[in-house]
Amino acid sequence: MTPRPDDISPRMPRVLAALVALTTPAANREAVLGDLEEHYRRALADPERAETARRVMWREAMTTAALMLLGRATHRGSSAPNTPHPPAPRGDRHMSILVADARHALRMLARRPAFTAIAIFTLALGIGATTAIFSVVKPLLFQAPPYPGADRIVMVWKWHGDAGKGNIGFGTFDDLTTASHTIETAAAMGDWRPTLTGNAEPERLAGQRVSPTFFRVLGVHPAIGRDFTALDDVRGSARVAILSHDLWTRRFNRDSSIVGRTITMDGDPVTVLGVMPASFENLVAPDAELWTTLRYTVGLEWACRSCQHLRMIARLKPNVGVPTAAAELTSILRGLARQYPGDYKDIALYVPTLQQDVAQAIKPVLITLLGAVVLVLLIACANVSNLLIARGIQRRSEFALRTALGAGRARLVRQVLTESLVLAGGGGVVGIVLAVLGTKLLVALAPASLPRTSSIGIDAGVLAFSCGITMITGILFGLAPAITALRPQLYDDIRRSSRTVGSGSRFTRSALVVSEVALALILMVGSGLLLRSSAMILGIAPGFDATNLLTMQVQAAGTRMRSDTAVRQFFDEAVARTREIPGVHSAALVSQLPLSSDFDGYGVHRQTAAAAGTSIDRSAFRFAVTPGYFETMKIPLVRGRLFGDADRPGALPVAVLSASFAKALFPDREPLGERIRIGDTASGPWYEIIGIVGDVRHVSIDAEQLNGVYTTMSQWKYSDDVMSLVVRASVPAGTLAPAVRKTIWSIDKDQAITRVQTMTDMLTLAQSERRFTLLLFELFGGVAILLAAAGIYGVLAGTVTERLREIGVRAALGATRSHLLMLVLRQGVAMSLLGVAAGVVASLALSGVLGSMLYRVSRADPVTYAAVSAAVLALATVTCLVPAWRAAKVDPMDTLRAE
Amino acid sequence: MGSHLGGLEQLVLLALARLGDDAYGVAVRDEIERTTKRATSFGSIYTTLARLEQKGLIRSSMGEPSAERGGRRKKYFAMTVAGERALREQIAALRTMTRGLDAVLGSR
Repeated sequence: MTPRPDDISPRMPRVLAALVALTTPAANREAVLGDLEEHYRRALADPERAETARRVMWREAMTTAALMLLGRATHRGSSAPNTPHPPAPRGDRHMSILVADARHALRMLARRPAFTAIAIFTLALGIGATTAIFSVVKPLLFQAPPYPGADRIVMVWKWHGDAGKGNIGFGTFDDLTTASHTIETAAAMGDWRPTLTGNAEPERLAGQRVSPTFFRVLGVHPAIGRDFTALDDVRGSARVAILSHDLWTRRFNRDSSIVGRTITMDGDPVTVLGVMPASFENLVAPDAELWTTLRYTVGLEWACRSCQHLRMIARLKPNVGVPTAAAELTSILRGLARQYPGDYKDIALYVPTLQQDVAQAIKPVLITLLGAVVLVLLIACANVSNLLIARGIQRRSEFALRTALGAGRARLVRQVLTESLVLAGGGGVVGIVLAVLGTKLLVALAPASLPRTSSIGIDAGVLAFSCGITMITGILFGLAPAITALRPQLYDDIRRSSRTVGSGSRFTRSALVVSEVALALILMVGSGLLLRSSAMILGIAPGFDATNLLTMQVQAAGTRMRSDTAVRQFFDEAVARTREIPGVHSAALVSQLPLSSDFDGYGVHRQTAAAAGTSIDRSAFRFAVTPGYFETMKIPLVRGRLFGDADRPGALPVAVLSASFAKALFPDREPLGERIRIGDTASGPWYEIIGIVGDVRHVSIDAEQLNGVYTTMSQWKYSDDVMSLVVRASVPAGTLAPAVRKTIWSIDKDQAITRVQTMTDMLTLAQSERRFTLLLFELFGGVAILLAAAGIYGVLAGTVTERLREIGVRAALGATRSHLLMLVLRQGVAMSLLGVAAGVVASLALSGVLGSMLYRVSRADPVTYAAVSAAVLALATVTCLVPAWRAAKVDPMDTLRAE
Repeated sequence: MGSHLGGLEQLVLLALARLGDDAYGVAVRDEIERTTKRATSFGSIYTTLARLEQKGLIRSSMGEPSAERGGRRKKYFAMTVAGERALREQIAALRTMTRGLDAVLGSR
């Protein structure tokens, strides 16, 4: 009796077959699937049942799958559920009651798939989002740095009071380390940006110059090769370097014979000592790809005490507390200040643990985000709570019967709580899936300034957190329905139809909805304030025209660039040739690009003031530019003239000031014609001020430091070996990048070109952290408001159903449609208004948390609050319309007949 | 004394007795639903059948595939000697308990 091909359709949907196959034990699989198929086809063949056959089949299959799962879980040779057990030991009895409750709960949930699906999805959203944010926050806030004994690793900064922390000089580092009894090992760190040349394109790398003890402070060592020794730190010995795993993979193809070989950095041969393991995370300089020795000795020109460009990291001795070490180091510093009075202005130190130092900047943002996502979770709980209460009302008679048959109150509460926990469990499982996706998304969107992104992921700790909040969530949203289920109106409940209800639970449900609206409003207000801040910032003029502006950093390094003349010649030719490229409108060079992370600050002294004997006047950022820079950037000239070709070495040294700086330096006289010294107090050329230009935002778009002084590249006392090329294009700027690079390399093929980007891209990147926070807040706000709207709808729809009889009576007695409409609408609007009011109060209290993320927007900004409140109220009112409309359309005959 | 039989276990065994050779999933379900007017599902029936089989009260055998079942075979169930005995004992016990209660329970 093999099946004929044409007989085999219509089949059970394949998805269902797979689900049932998965959950059914192998022994019965074929039989169950066959039975289901047979059952389905017979239903299809029967005219009376054909229409609903498909829906019935879906329900059948899902129920069967669920029951098979249950049967598997509890099947251990136990007897049937309704059989009385012989008295079992206490623990067993509790277990079996718990298990019985869980099975009962699963059965009940399986019977109402739509309700279960909505509840699980809502919970999954809340739990998933919270877990995802937690996984991002955990490495920074809760996880120790990945080094042994990390709680004893500290950073040592100078403390400048209001100006914050600052670097230290090598002399200070050396003295502190030698004199200290609390430090086990210490290292100094500086920046290193060498250019790697060779067979491939010259590449400028990010690296660190460190004391040979650096890796020992962290407690790590190279995976292949060896660590630095004191001998490697001696000036004159062969230069050495240790590579990161990424660099080794990317540039050297994981060739392990690299150890001992020589590579070329900045034109010099460097021997590779070793390669760090792939698992090494560099918290102090996340993008560093290679390390070399510092080679500083006390007495070197740039190893002086006030040459503060090094960072210090130290590992404390075992059993030494951080405060003890900090106190000791500070007292050593005081001693140094007495010995060398001119070199130490501030004598305070800031000694945070490495963990604290890394987390400091980003901590407030992360905590705010965690708070926001918890709000979303609370709203989800309130929604599911409402759903359960509504269902609990329908099961009133069941509960009443159980109570009559002897089930105690505690028993009922336990049963309802078990249901909640089972539901929460389902939400948790789906939530973890969502969290995995969410975490990947977060890492992809995260701003570059977020440290430790490689540690972000769903690991054991995150899973434990997820389970924890799942349970708390379950109990939280299960409480309200559990309490509501216990109303003692026993006799009435058994008799009454399941649709009518007492007023007690209605209050609870309304209260839940009001709190949902309030919570959603808080999130929306947060989004609104952040949005306004972003708008404020975007509205700030950077001081130059950023359209179609291409920028790149060009380096002049290596053996051919040892003299200032060679460097200047190279750069001059680079600009000249770039100007000839078709599509280029104008081009120029500048030593520090606005809104980049580089700046060079100097004290500026007026000749008039120097004559009077006062020392440092004011400080400003110094820029060395080529003539044509202001024109290329479209920085406006306020007074005087701009640089020209006549301003060469040998001619009068000239300078241009930014407008704010001119006003600050010469508040009561005309700056043009005055003379200043930049940097040196005692000697050095006097620059004559020939022009004043518009202010340019330099450090960041919202920072207020606008003091700038410009000189020509050729007239500055040394030549910067890295300059930024700015190119104004008459075509989209990005398209010119390859041509410009080729031109520069045609002059000298070994000079690295980095940071190639359009100015608009750079502006966007600068705001990436703010943008990230805003995006998340908007996402949470959106989800929150949708959940709250769903909550409002649910309660109102339920109310209409429950009060159907009353509405029917009113309609029969002559109430107009609009009257009935208003009846329901009034309830809905009242809840929304209360929610909005509560939300506004809570927002005013909580918005202080946003603190530094707000720019020129008050935390009680009336425009934002008004707009958000109006939007929420409008949405709520629209949501109320559907159930209200249903109430208005009620036909009194239908409702009264149904009773 | 054999094991206690739960409500559904009892019904399933009785259905097997009624159906004799033709006792497979769909037939057992239809029989129970028809006589008791109570809705069941394949899930609960098969869980019960599996339990009964594990207790040694029934045994199973595979039948022929059919087109109606999408080419899948039927699985037939029948009581073992132990199963018959358990069922008999349970019904006897019930009969003893219901003796003399016609007035209260009524006859339908």
